[in-house]
Amino acid sequence: MIELAWSRLGNDDCLRARGLAPATVDLEVFPAAVLHATRAVALPPMAGRTVVDGDDVCFVPRFAFVPGTAYRARVGGHDVGAAVRPEVAADRSTEVVAIHPSVPVVPRNLLRLYVQFSAPMAEGDAAQHVALVDEEGAPMVASLLRMDEELWDASRQRLTVLLDPARIKRGLVSHAAAGYPLRLGAAFRVVVGEGFRDARGVALRAGAERRYLVGDDERRRVDPAAWQITPPAVATQAPVRVVFDRPLDHGLATRCLRVVDADGRRVAGAVRLAPDARSWELEPTQTWRAGRHAVEVDATLEDLAGNSVARVFDRALADADDDRRRPGDRALPFLL
Amino acid sequence: MSDLGLRIGTPDVRLAGPIAFGPAGILFLADNGAAAIHAIDVRDPGPVAGSEPFDLESLDARLASFLGCDVTDVAVKDMAVHPSSHHVYLSVQRGRGDARQAVLVRIDRLTGAIADVSLTDVPCAKVVLTDAPDLDDERLDIVLPMGDEGEELTFGERTVRVVRQPIRMSTVTDMAYVDGVLLVAGLSNEEFSSKLRRIPFPFGDAVADNNLEIFHVSHGKWETAAPIRTFVPYDDGRSILASYTCTPVVHVPLVDAEPGTKTIGRTVAELGSMNQPLDMVSFRQGGDEYVLVANTSHGLLKLAGKDIDGQPGLIEPTAPIGVPRERQELEGIIRLDNLNGEHVLALQRDDAGRLHLRSLKTASL
Repeated sequence: MIELAWSRLGNDDCLRARGLAPATVDLEVFPAAVLHATRAVALPPMAGRTVVDGDDVCFVPRFAFVPGTAYRARVGGHDVGAAVRPEVAADRSTEVVAIHPSVPVVPRNLLRLYVQFSAPMAEGDAAQHVALVDEEGAPMVASLLRMDEELWDASRQRLTVLLDPARIKRGLVSHAAAGYPLRLGAAFRVVVGEGFRDARGVALRAGAERRYLVGDDERRRVDPAAWQITPPAVATQAPVRVVFDRPLDHGLATRCLRVVDADGRRVAGAVRLAPDARSWELEPTQTWRAGRHAVEVDATLEDLAGNSVARVFDRALADADDDRRRPGDRALPFLL
Repeated sequence: MSDLGLRIGTPDVRLAGPIAFGPAGILFLADNGAAAIHAIDVRDPGPVAGSEPFDLESLDARLASFLGCDVTDVAVKDMAVHPSSHHVYLSVQRGRGDARQAVLVRIDRLTGAIADVSLTDVPCAKVVLTDAPDLDDERLDIVLPMGDEGEELTFGERTVRVVRQPIRMSTVTDMAYVDGVLLVAGLSNEEFSSKLRRIPFPFGDAVADNNLEIFHVSHGKWETAAPIRTFVPYDDGRSILASYTCTPVVHVPLVDAEPGTKTIGRTVAELGSMNQPLDMVSFRQGGDEYVLVANTSHGLLKLAGKDIDGQPGLIEPTAPIGVPRERQELEGIIRLDNLNGEHVLALQRDDAGRLHLRSLKTASL
């Protein structure tokens, strides 16, 4: 009678076999499901080493045992038993905290969505768990760009989802063949499935979704000259507020604006982007001093359709005015 | 190894990315998590190989068994053949989330045996990639000038962890080594833009960047933002052939490309929209150079060097489609490398999703 048990050998995890013939050294371990599904070829055993420990034989794996996985032990090619590595007990605590854009109506040529999670997520499954569906709940096939590399921020809490640019840009074969991913005047939902796993491998507490209506295309370059600045009072720490002419890209708007003083020095402070990404403010850490200031805009700032200060995402080739080489004014002065 | 700038260390690889062999059996391994490229002496034990084919069924099951996990927890990120032993190296991601682990695997082309290449106390060097930064931008708190060798080497203990700056770091889509230079194609994460970097090896000298401008036929416009997905050195390394999503193939000269300038590529073929190129390899047949492109939708396509060389740049939208292409009767090819003069090694995913290694006889392609 062979007995298998999860155990420790020194500092290492091991699978301990009791009841084998003395000094058995050819204990081999396989993931049971792989072994079961692959009969045509001789599989290599799991990498690791066999250590005789008193009357027991221990298999110390080179790569950690995976929770929830069944392992089969063999000696001399014969099964001697199996054991299931216990699951790690973990609460389903991670959830979706936001889906951006946060406006009810998006342009038909919407380029980018963000899904913000409450904890770091596992990579590799986004395409499976994030989808666009129409009013009836039918999936909108090939609406999202599939990429080898998912676009996560450094903390792996914010996922960037791109609609397929080839279906947004007019004149492209994909656009001509399949049309825009979104339909003018129709509603759609971004759906995040609860099966999306966090970095611990645990599914979400619940799925999430956000509904949008599809409005007109947005094909204008982002134009800071059309924004309104509400200057703060001198000697206060009131925020300076900038109201945009349209909702901007949530990810980029957070980082593409800054305030400088007359000497070009950056004004330090707390930055807040309104939830609808239509306005932005900076609350300084020190009181405002009189003099010239300016809101500076990074040329990479984009709106929901990927139009930046420097260029229109989907440029009309025949339109001479629509030239990405003529960026608009990128510093908005204000006097205190 | 000292003349190649390697020191004994333990590369801290977070995400298994593209791999490519360099001189003296040194493997370049890109880590897209840390936006770094490691040069690792893999100390390949094999004898110099001949021109035999190598095939291996059920590669994914073998890897899963070796790694002690389910098949779905194994992701093969890239494949490279050792230039002299012809052993097959795979850049593999095992597991997900916090349990995720980058593993470098060697497959013995004589026996099919699988081993993992140790990354502990091995001769290695590292270069960290950053996008050309505005120096006054506080978001770029990684002050790591390209070529600062002292910062980039890994010693016996772990190196300082480089936290990814999602905006400014590029991920690496493909790499190739040519005559002392590592060519690196990258995708900038949020801006959806690309660059071709030329990193001298041994690491240490300044990196040459070139922005690329190409005519994207199916997009019908000159394009500076679309990322290179895969490329292959061409014409003895004097140029590259690069493929982009939706799917222009572009000839890019390297010889006259001054660092920091914009290089205009010559679009020589349009392989079709709704498609992503996965890998490329060049090979010789009857003394002439040919290129294979593996695609998500359009299969494995063969292009002839003489057609490429004689092809005027495509600068009209949608048509013509450029050089003739010959579709091979092989489906599911996702990675390619030269095995030896007579064979190209292909990683193939079959209809059931299983992975196999196949040798393709170059004379029959």
